[in-house]
Amino acid sequence: MWNTVSKGAAAVEPAVKQYLPPCQEQCPINEDIQRTNVLISLLPEDAEKAAPGILQIGDYLYEKNPLFPVCGYVCGLCELECNYHAKGGAIKRRLLKRFISDTYIPYLETRDEWGLIKHKENVAIVGGGPAGLMAGYDLSLRGYRVTVFEASGRLGGALWLIPRYRLPERVLTSTLEAMVRMVGMDVKYDTRIGQGKWTLDRLQNEGYKAVFIAQGTPTPRTLTFDRDPVEGQDLSGVMYGHTFLYEVSHGNIRPDYFKGKKVLVIGGGNVAFDVARTARRLGGETTVVALECEDKSSRDGIPADVEEIRGAWEEGIRIVYSRGVQRIIGEGERMKQIVCPRCLQVYDDHGFHPVFDLADTVALDGDVLIVTVGQGPDWTALRSEGLVDAQGRLAVDSLTLQSRNKDWVFVGGDLRKIGFMVEAMHDGLAAAESIERHLQGRDMTEGRKRLFEVQDIPLRRHYLSEPEVIWIPPEKRMHFQLFERGFTLREAIEEARRCLACGPCIACKACVSIGLRESLNPVEVLTDRCCGCGICVSACFYSAIQLKDVEMGRISVTDAFKCKSCGMCVAACPSGARMLKDDPLEGLLQTTYGRLS
Amino acid sequence: MGYEPKLVCFSCKFGWGYLKDPNALREEAALLTPVECSGRLDALHLLKAFKEGADGILILACEEGHCHFQEGNFRTLKMLYLLRDVLQAHGIDGERVRIEFSRDPEGRTILDRITQMKASLSGLGPLDRALL
Repeated sequence: MWNTVSKGAAAVEPAVKQYLPPCQEQCPINEDIQRTNVLISLLPEDAEKAAPGILQIGDYLYEKNPLFPVCGYVCGLCELECNYHAKGGAIKRRLLKRFISDTYIPYLETRDEWGLIKHKENVAIVGGGPAGLMAGYDLSLRGYRVTVFEASGRLGGALWLIPRYRLPERVLTSTLEAMVRMVGMDVKYDTRIGQGKWTLDRLQNEGYKAVFIAQGTPTPRTLTFDRDPVEGQDLSGVMYGHTFLYEVSHGNIRPDYFKGKKVLVIGGGNVAFDVARTARRLGGETTVVALECEDKSSRDGIPADVEEIRGAWEEGIRIVYSRGVQRIIGEGERMKQIVCPRCLQVYDDHGFHPVFDLADTVALDGDVLIVTVGQGPDWTALRSEGLVDAQGRLAVDSLTLQSRNKDWVFVGGDLRKIGFMVEAMHDGLAAAESIERHLQGRDMTEGRKRLFEVQDIPLRRHYLSEPEVIWIPPEKRMHFQLFERGFTLREAIEEARRCLACGPCIACKACVSIGLRESLNPVEVLTDRCCGCGICVSACFYSAIQLKDVEMGRISVTDAFKCKSCGMCVAACPSGARMLKDDPLEGLLQTTYGRLS
Repeated sequence: MGYEPKLVCFSCKFGWGYLKDPNALREEAALLTPVECSGRLDALHLLKAFKEGADGILILACEEGHCHFQEGNFRTLKMLYLLRDVLQAHGIDGERVRIEFSRDPEGRTILDRITQMKASLSGLGPLDRALL
């Protein structure tokens, strides 16, 4: 006889399928984008009257994403998948969120902490960046006592590398400060776990029942050519992008630091462009040298965002594509020149595999060389703590983030996989869920893999074009103030109104939340009246209706996940076979008719 | 004078008066009937209103390209073209049904619009319900 199991692979998946608008599916933390867009679209145009509404939207966003004020400045991942992308431009969700953020920050700074009751175990978070803080925030909400161990003197991790001209310091500091204060996390600064006496075992001995390690990638990658380190990286004038951005954000570099100097930046990613644009603002005559080619659609295309490249170009930064660095030539102790052969290929079918034409080289003069070709974790600490496998890779489960070597240790964020800020935040939330499951002795994977399906673009005759984003002209933006203008209230409302709200209502309910509708009344089909004519199929803007053959003939059926309860099919049905369940309109009409007589 | 046309006004909740208490709106305009989308209305709703005693119907819909449900406003317009022809064929002036595409979150202009349409309908006199 067999024994039944209901856990692990045998578990029934609850809510196997869920429709979401594409933006929310794209967002690693599935932020309620549509709901908040709709709410913004319904704000009053009078600033004073709108303020409480804006704060309500902010409170709603904050609950799920306490870093949203920062996201509003730096993240626009959702815009990449917006259904409007191909029809007049994606909804400017980032600017909409920045709009909320700008009103929310002063309020957040004075907001009272929540006074949560923490009756559960002690959990240690190693690293106070987006991943660690999200985990700490979520675990605190769940009632765990959280201590964040931060190696440096301030929280935020890699967020401090974002230049001030994109993210104002107040937004960052206020958001971080509030995040810790609201949920009452303990923070131990200047404490580097994995170094000296601060080992994981010590954390365990001190009563921490689980640890989440999210130490990020503090080690800059050095420049290599043909797999060997390029010589001369120890010359004076050579530095690494991360270190440079870190020093700038700490205010350790004076405003005209590079004045009259030629700055060469190596790298083609967004960080390299942050470095170049920062160097330019410090007075340097700046050139970016990228291995990749200009055509972003090719496999070897430059990875930096189009807007970064455009911004750099406008600011007078020269971009040299398809060139590697073979040698750094010094003069005495100082770097003087780099030798750059043409790069014929960056990737092959197996991955990174650059091929150069050594007959075609150029020499570029420079006083400063900033190497920004990536960064990696602190492997020494990970190895000494026994968190790597025999091949030297991180031994961690990619779904649960649980270490394969130590079941009370969880690893995530950039350290596990370099990505966007919000991907690190997702890791933080995943780790929090895993830690709770682990401490409660529950199954680690059951019901966690959710399948989201994306709603297509609804049909309509007119699509509206995107608003112009206004940047301060390049000659006036050579400073560290914001260069992009945010939305005014009126602009925010207009842009939010452009959102097609293409996702299903059950994943939004903005209208219900403000009492505009009482509920989402599901469509009912009176099968004895439905003749299967299909008029409703074409009447539905959301492809929610299909015809189905049943015993007594053909009838129409509605997919409750896609249905918006708009009533178009009800109005279109010639035989009165469709109705909204408990439709409030019926009662209202009766009252109106009653008042007529 | 003395005759005041009875005007039923259907307004889309997503474009009209959503910032105002719905009960307050209905107190000001007793025959105001907010709907989730103007596209929800079918010809039978309107004919029924006429039958029950309305002399005119005003539909306040969203601006073109701004329907929360994509194009409900356009659907209503199409329905109205047809309905007006039907009404004319029965000897009823098509002007007794009108649609306006605009937006007024605070509902400030709703009363004015109703008053204006009433004024323009007063010349037509009460609707002869025998024609329906």
